[in-house]
Amino acid sequence: TVVTKQTAALKRMLNFNAPPLKNTTAEPVWKLLIYDRFGQDIISPLLSVKELRDMGITLHLLLHSDRDPIPDVPAIYFVMPTEENIDRICQDLRNQLYESYYLNFISAISRSKLEDIASAALAANAVNLVTKVFDQYLNFITLEDDMFILCNQNKEHISYHAINKPDIMDTDMDGIMDTIVDSLFCFFVTLGAVPIIRCPRGNAAEMVAVKLDKKLRENLRDARNSLFTGDTMGTGQFSFQRPLFVLADRNLDLATPLHHTWTYQALIHDVLDFHLNRVSVEESQGSEASPAGARPKKKNKKSYDLTAADKFWQKHKGSPFPEVAEAVQEELDTYRAQEDEVKRLKSIMGLEGEDDGAISMLSDNTAKLTSAVSSLPELLEKKRLIDLHTNVATAVLDHIKSRKLDVYFEYEEKLMSKSTLDKSLLDIISDPDAGTAEDKMRLFLIYYITSQQPPSEADLEQYKRALVDAGCDLSPLNYIKQWKAFTKMAATPANYGSSGVKPMGLFSRVMNTGSQFVMEGVKNLVLKQHNLPVTRILDNLMEMKSNPVSTLAIVFVVGGGNYIEYQNLVDYTKARQGKRVLYGCSELFNAAQFMKQLSQLGQK
Amino acid sequence: MKLYSLSVLYKGSTKANLLKAAYDLSSFSFFQRSSLQEFMTFTSALIVERSALGSRASVKEQEYLCHVYVRNDNLGGVVIADSEYPSRVCFTLLDKVLDEFSRQVNSVDWPSGSPATIQYTALDSHLAKYQNPREADAMTKVQAELDETKIILHNTMESLLERGEKLDDLVQKSEHLGNQSKAFYKTVSTLHAYGTQQQNMQFIKMSLLLYILKLH
Repeated sequence: TVVTKQTAALKRMLNFNAPPLKNTTAEPVWKLLIYDRFGQDIISPLLSVKELRDMGITLHLLLHSDRDPIPDVPAIYFVMPTEENIDRICQDLRNQLYESYYLNFISAISRSKLEDIASAALAANAVNLVTKVFDQYLNFITLEDDMFILCNQNKEHISYHAINKPDIMDTDMDGIMDTIVDSLFCFFVTLGAVPIIRCPRGNAAEMVAVKLDKKLRENLRDARNSLFTGDTMGTGQFSFQRPLFVLADRNLDLATPLHHTWTYQALIHDVLDFHLNRVSVEESQGSEASPAGARPKKKNKKSYDLTAADKFWQKHKGSPFPEVAEAVQEELDTYRAQEDEVKRLKSIMGLEGEDDGAISMLSDNTAKLTSAVSSLPELLEKKRLIDLHTNVATAVLDHIKSRKLDVYFEYEEKLMSKSTLDKSLLDIISDPDAGTAEDKMRLFLIYYITSQQPPSEADLEQYKRALVDAGCDLSPLNYIKQWKAFTKMAATPANYGSSGVKPMGLFSRVMNTGSQFVMEGVKNLVLKQHNLPVTRILDNLMEMKSNPVSTLAIVFVVGGGNYIEYQNLVDYTKARQGKRVLYGCSELFNAAQFMKQLSQLGQK
Repeated sequence: MKLYSLSVLYKGSTKANLLKAAYDLSSFSFFQRSSLQEFMTFTSALIVERSALGSRASVKEQEYLCHVYVRNDNLGGVVIADSEYPSRVCFTLLDKVLDEFSRQVNSVDWPSGSPATIQYTALDSHLAKYQNPREADAMTKVQAELDETKIILHNTMESLLERGEKLDDLVQKSEHLGNQSKAFYKTVSTLHAYGTQQQNMQFIKMSLLLYILKLH
């Protein structure tokens, strides 16, 4: 997978650019890691601080920070080859900070910049200290086994807004496309495969495709120096089968980025502060009522990393929220049973009140106690994860209840699948209790985008008045109107498929009193699988006989994507044995961030 | 106020022939420009076809105006501008451009000419200069002979069509619009091209172009 390949590349780099020896009992050599923010964003979803320490990284520092000399330790740099970074490296060399320098550039460094470093090293008498210089071709961020984005820093440079704004010059567009292509090239180098590229016509995705194709050809032409031979190719499926690379343009579907969602990971991204797999929530205050008139307690913000090791997360990140709530409740119940068991055993042994540490030091003969003790670390970890998901799910549920997100989700699904609507759009917009101004604007835009005919002038005025009364900013609508008129030129407007949203029965577990989650008033909605526009394109392409059979497909959206689209592809892939699909996008935004860009584009 | 296109055409017996054109689409988003350019060409040709010899007209479509002047010698010019741009200046520009064009390009070359074969290079600079009407107009000697009562005003594109004619059909038949019947998805391959693609006709509605321009 991409995760394993990118992680392996990082680990090799951190082992002084040599493959790590397996089964070595020797202590790792102590070293420093110096990175810029790009490098930090690439490493953090893949390697934890502990894993870095296991590889011998005693200290990791930002390139542009004040760093003291540590003359007897080697330093590994992992940075972008920008002018300021190069200058700082040269400065480090002149200041003789470290014992030796391993310079790793995230994307390929130009010859002239390489010469700058060489001259600085020469001037500082440090040439022999620069032990290795590598182009790592790692300029992309892998968030999941099957999902990647291009960058996090400077993403405004290649955002949807940057690509679609007016008054842009050819040279600017070239710059944006080159940045995107550089990352995609790194992706395929790391993957070790040359893709078959398919793209639509007449938009940014096509331009990316053409440039990427050119770059790949240029690289392959020089067989000796090609990045696609040798050990990067590896054995396995990629060495004889080329993956299908499908480029899509964001403009093909603007409803999905605005959609209210119902699955766990996508909800977290929509309503909470979530990026690079880290979510921040305000601590829930519990259910004690605060006395009337009391100042509300200051809420703590807690951050959690949602990782591959978190089994609950891996199992439920794509589940509909009610299922998640039930599952957390179930985990909590199981945990409490186990905890009670441990308590019971403690009291049998006369160890009530003793801390777990003391217990674990006992070497006792009771099989039960031994097993309970040995499972303590596991239990503690389990408790940590339960607390994590309880807090996160509670925060999500608060948003769902106060904003009536289930109502929005259900209505939008009906709009997108052209099912009959059971209430009027105007009612929802005018309802002061349902949703924030932003929720209403999202809903209205989806209505506008998915309607066959635009509303009449009179109807439109009515909607606009209601939206303004609700506090909405109408500038995104200006842009959407223009986009829709232009898009109508294509014969096949985005097809959202026929989804069905069925209400299920009452929640069982969570409706019990004493349950962690109070789901009263929240509909228990279940999704019927349907394909969103991007998924449909992949499906069409994979079904075509003229396309060579490929077990791996990569779908990449130029102009940005989100977790809803990702989850839709994951669900699609689950039903297809033997096929793997990866999802990538030039940036990841939630609806609020996307609306902000639409608003900028709609300003006159 | 903005000018979007300036074109010179020959009004043949059955259709109009584009001789030369200049465009300024910088205020549109990058990937919309080429389609919009095609449409402007299509619109200009259609308007010239439907205008009588020796006539001037302005075709209004909400906030946009297409100003046309077809001379008695079958030479025609079209300016597409926004609604703020003074129309009188557009007609002055058309007079000037057609006059200059007819002096530089032999009339024998008009009926069969195309942008590739016609040697006339001043359109781009005229378009650029006239983006600022005050400055440009001050430099020309304004012909006071322009009788504004004779300029025909059309409130929509549809009024140019004959009874029963549909814009869609005209769009389909037009050579000015790119070959839209190619595959929606094409393959860009690093080693060799892969075969057939899906058919996906793109139907382009003229009125929608003008609708877009209106909303811009």
